[in-house]
Amino acid sequence: MKRTTRNTYIFINLGLAALVPFGLICLARHERTTTPRWAIIQDMDKQPYYKAQRPSKLFADGRAMRPHIPGTLAQQDFIYINQAEARAHPRNWAKDHVILKNKKLYDSILFGQTLVSGHGQWLTQIPIPVTKRFVKRGQTEFNIFCEPCHGYNGKGNGTVNRWDQRLRKLGSPEAGTWVPPSNLLGPGVAYLSDGLIYNVVTNGVASMASYKDQIPVVDRWAIVAYVRALEKSQKVVPAAKLPYLIRTNLKPLPTPGSQ
Amino acid sequence: MSERPFFVFPKWSDWLTKVIVISSLVIPVYLVFLIAYGCSARTLNVNYQPIQPVPYSHAFHAGKLGINCEYCHTDVKRAAFAALPPTQTCLNCHSLIAAKSRELQAVRNSYGTGVKSLAGMSVPWVKVDDLPDYVYFNHAAHVNAGISCLVCHGKVNEMTRVYQAKPFNMAWCLNCHRNPAPYLRPRNEVTNLDWKGKNKVKLARDLGLTVATLPSNLGAYLLKRYHVPTVKILTDCETCHH
Ligand code: HEC
Ligand code: HEC
Ligand code: HEC
Ligand code: HEC
Ligand code: HEC
Ligand code: HEC
Repeated sequence: MKRTTRNTYIFINLGLAALVPFGLICLARHERTTTPRWAIIQDMDKQPYYKAQRPSKLFADGRAMRPHIPGTLAQQDFIYINQAEARAHPRNWAKDHVILKNKKLYDSILFGQTLVSGHGQWLTQIPIPVTKRFVKRGQTEFNIFCEPCHGYNGKGNGTVNRWDQRLRKLGSPEAGTWVPPSNLLGPGVAYLSDGLIYNVVTNGVASMASYKDQIPVVDRWAIVAYVRALEKSQKVVPAAKLPYLIRTNLKPLPTPGSQ
Repeated sequence: MSERPFFVFPKWSDWLTKVIVISSLVIPVYLVFLIAYGCSARTLNVNYQPIQPVPYSHAFHAGKLGINCEYCHTDVKRAAFAALPPTQTCLNCHSLIAAKSRELQAVRNSYGTGVKSLAGMSVPWVKVDDLPDYVYFNHAAHVNAGISCLVCHGKVNEMTRVYQAKPFNMAWCLNCHRNPAPYLRPRNEVTNLDWKGKNKVKLARDLGLTVATLPSNLGAYLLKRYHVPTVKILTDCETCHH
């Protein structure tokens, strides 16, 4: 074999071999791994303090975050600040927090009750000023927490309910003991006072679970306001049945996007 | 008589010199590229997909059922930490549906209806996205500024098992902090990972505007509306290391 051809032969082989590590890395990039990343220099990546939801060997239940002790109140329970909104609208800060300065406000906002001659009675009105912004907030929260079961329109046919109906039709044992969620627009809920609806969200009812750990107090009241708004929206009076003066002064709705 | 040299390089050493010279030029360059590629954050950090104690699927719950991210990650809008859901959250549905499923054994153990010795312990979820402890990160700040989960976690609603989708190194964070405008969207679409922003009527409704008054540069408009701090503050070392 001539020397030059042998040399080029070696070069090409070496060049190809040099590409192999790149190829392996490229493969590794596109493959999922179950081993965590390794740091070449550990620096201070892992520091001996607890972050939220980290495990701890100090406590029997293995949690660093201590659960709420029944029958006690946290400092923050006395002031509810709607932080997300307050961040975005610094000027509205004052409107967004409610200070529970006395026992009466405390009972009504936290438990949805007032004391009437020594007995708790469910509130018939939402104890927080209901503004458009408040109802909108209720809509957002309703669509997050109630929609899976009660549906966007509150009629009780949310996505999970529909999934269960499907399982039932297929005769799957997974369908379990699912109870169709109540229709929030029906008479059953219309007769509930605001305090009771608040209590349903807070403590659950029959087969509906409690939502007090998932939804902060103010947002629960916002949801109550939105449930009421949903009910009102279903009691629409046809235009023909409106009083004469109002009917004749109605303007046609602009078509969306034309303004 | 000419003296015999003490040592003569044999003929093949010519060839060796050439090899040594060339490889001393090529090999360092090669190693630089190899290490830069092999040890980049993109190679080391992305695609970590630990095995979880419960075969919980985001593709089913968040994708097919369309449950909002906040139903489970409740703190994402309010706190620095996004919070994994407590066992009770799963039981909201799973006390009634698929209640006896084998795959949910670890959840039942934690709730107290399974293995008795594990009652009250957390489900041992494995953390996927993990920043070093010297970095401060805040979910509420980002989510309320209109940055979607999609930007940082990828299409979670199509993942059967969550994996890390972005490198989370400092350069990656700064890349956005230098120019956040293109990533912003209306705040109420943050958890909608399929959002495209093409529907003008819907967009106007999200922002409380009409189609005619819709700003031509959405990013710049949202930057102002959500009071996003200046680039100088966002790229200050103290913002993330304090
Ligand atoms: C996991 C599914 C589920 C979710 C989520 C859910 N509910 Fe329910 N809800 C039910 C079921 C099931 C019932 C019927 C309970 C029964 O009669 O056994 C019910 C009943 C109700 C009732 C009627 C109670 C009565 O006395 O008739 C109200 C009011 C209600 N839910 C409000 C809400 C609100 C507000 C939310 C959102 C915070 C919500 N629900 C979220 C499943 C759910
Ligand atoms: C039904 C409850 C539920 C819903 C809805 C949900 N998640 Fe999760 N999520 C979990 C659980 C449980 C885990 C922990 C197990 C895991 O990592 O798979 C988790 C883990 C994650 C993680 C990884 C966290 C880590 O360990 O670093 C991310 C990121 C995440 N979810 C994002 C989302 C996004 C984005 C959405 C909305 C599209 C969403 N989740 C909806 C329950 C939920
Ligand atoms: C809003 C209701 C809801 C919540 C909350 C929920 N799931 Fe589910 N999950 C479902 C439904 C519906 C199914 C489908 C059941 C089926 O088709 O068999 C399901 C199926 C599953 C399955 C597969 C079970 C099987 O045998 O097919 C697992 C595992 C699971 N969920 C885990 C979880 C975990 C863990 C959580 C808590 C982080 C959770 N789920 C929260 C509604 C929910
Ligand atoms: C700007 C980027 C960014 C956005 C936007 C973002 N995340 Fe994260 N997320 C992170 C980072 C970084 C971590 C790791 C935090 C740590 O280890 O301290 C993380 C961690 C998590 C975790 C694990 C628990 C924790 O807090 O460490 C969950 C769950 C999660 N994210 C869910 C979400 C959801 C849901 C959304 C959308 C509403 C979202 N994230 C939006 C960057 C982001
Ligand atoms: C897609 C864009 C984007 C990415 C990616 C991003 N950020 Fe940010 N970050 C922002 C914006 C916008 C703000 C301003 C939010 C505000 O305060 O209104 C911000 C604010 C912050 C703040 C200040 C929070 C506060 O309390 O005021 C910290 C800390 C931060 N980011 C850390 C990080 C870290 C760490 C990463 C990388 C893991 C990261 N960010 C990735 C856009 C981003
Ligand atoms: C947007 C948030 C952010 C800002 C601003 C920021 N950093 Fe970082 N920094 C990070 C993150 C995230 C990491 C972790 C990188 C990793 O995990 O590889 C990091 C890591 C580091 C490290 C350790 C690098 C290593 O690999 O060991 C140093 C040193 C550092 N940063 C210095 C600085 C200095 C100096 C500044 C100001 C010029 C600064 N950082 C500003 C987010 C930030």
